[in-house]
Amino acid sequence: MRALDYALRHGWSAMRRSKVSTLCAVLAIALATSVLGLVLLVTFNADQVLIRWRTSAEFSVYLRDDATSEQRGVVESVLDQSGAVGNVEFVSKDQALVRFRREFADLASLASELDGNPFPASLEVRLLQVADTDGSGEVLLRRIATLPGVADVRYDRAWLARVGQAIETVRRLGFGLALLLAAAAAVTVASVVRLGMHARREEIEIMELVGASAGYVRGPFVAEGLLQGGLGALVALGAVLLAHRIGAVIWGSEVSALFDGLPLRFLPVSLCAALVLGGMAVGGLGGFIASRRIA
Amino acid sequence: MAYRLWTTDSSCVTLALERTRAPARRSSFIVIEAKNLSKQYDRGVYALRDLSLSVGKGEFVFLTGPSGAGKSTFLRLLLVKERASEGQVLVNGHNLSELRRSEVQEYRRGVGFVFQDFKLIPTRTIFENVAFVSEVLGVAPTQQRRRAAQVLKWVGLQHRMNAYPRELSGGEQQRIAIARALMNDPPLVIADEPTGNLDPDLSLEIMNLLREVNAGGTTVLVATHDRELIRLVGRRSVTLDHGRIVEMS
Repeated sequence: MRALDYALRHGWSAMRRSKVSTLCAVLAIALATSVLGLVLLVTFNADQVLIRWRTSAEFSVYLRDDATSEQRGVVESVLDQSGAVGNVEFVSKDQALVRFRREFADLASLASELDGNPFPASLEVRLLQVADTDGSGEVLLRRIATLPGVADVRYDRAWLARVGQAIETVRRLGFGLALLLAAAAAVTVASVVRLGMHARREEIEIMELVGASAGYVRGPFVAEGLLQGGLGALVALGAVLLAHRIGAVIWGSEVSALFDGLPLRFLPVSLCAALVLGGMAVGGLGGFIASRRIA
Repeated sequence: MAYRLWTTDSSCVTLALERTRAPARRSSFIVIEAKNLSKQYDRGVYALRDLSLSVGKGEFVFLTGPSGAGKSTFLRLLLVKERASEGQVLVNGHNLSELRRSEVQEYRRGVGFVFQDFKLIPTRTIFENVAFVSEVLGVAPTQQRRRAAQVLKWVGLQHRMNAYPRELSGGEQQRIAIARALMNDPPLVIADEPTGNLDPDLSLEIMNLLREVNAGGTTVLVATHDRELIRLVGRRSVTLDHGRIVEMS
């Protein structure tokens, strides 16, 4: 505990003594952590939407224009008896046209120019969550597709999988970029700590000569990196919070519409803590690398 | 164990010296023993050649000779800042050629050192410079303060404990360096040209201080090229030249 107390006290003093170089190290870590924080913010919100869509997975059964009411009845009957369906809503051709005009106002004139109503009637089916996960939804889908009067069946699951993959790709790219920036930040911290070591070389020499343990000699430099990393991560969190607030003010309604009514959320406490710890780890690594040649 | 010592301002203080090291590994009479010691640098240059020397417990020995004689190299070997090329040197029973890193730390805790350029930390007060030695060895703060106050009082500079090194004269700075060397109550104190930056009066003052350290039972080894000082102090001297012992008196 004495070694830890010593390391933190002297690490903090070293930071205060070399304000400009400390600022450079803090900003380098803040940049890396901000990139990671923004990627996490975007993917976290996208994940929330995806989870919501997944829990309410639905498929649409498009009926042929010449489908009879008996054929539609058979389809509804099969859906009801499957035990996998939570809700079924019939959307007539007219209702589909009205919905198109409402949701795609810019293209409404296009629909008017066409002869007749091009939109098919459909049954919008909301599956029970269990059916979405145990595969019974897909079995039902294949059966419905073979029934007379059914033109096509569109299941959202494949689309959701593609969205999930896209989010994962964004996440990986972001993580890769953040990793590169973190490596650069660690090098910056190591350089700053090494400058401090040069200024304190006599102190280090005396510590070595009196037989101080490696923990005492290297501790302040690792602590300096840890503190720089922690400060940088806190600055980054502030920047991400600011970006979140600005984003909510400027694009709040658009995001809400895009995200199915969900508001843009900030990172949970656990992710914020992970970011700060990650920043500290990068800084501590820089301090450790810089001081590895002593003691 | 207690020593009665005299400070330079003639005030008498009793310094209770706490032996922190186990004496089991220490030889009874020999503190430093070099056997056929050589140190060779690149290009085949020898800084020390076939040097054999013994320093007994409680002795005060001068190591002298011209620049480049090998005095500082020998001291660097004693501080394990370098390793011998051939031969061996034993200090307090430790064979310095075979010490592992963790053992070097333990060994150094039993050796006090004083340098020509004082090596005080400019950003710390005198008290912090001295207490620092105990601090980095994990000694409790109350013990650090007590011991630092003791040694500062002993070198007669307790009234300057809040000053910074730059506010002190060269002689005062060297007294602080000696106080720092005594913080761990080492059985051996090594001084490399401790009077090199001081005028003759201050040099004698520092030598008297080291003599008082020696009077308490601590073995003292001083490297100096100042033959007049050696004559005035009047202790055993070993003269080196081109890495070899050329005279013992």
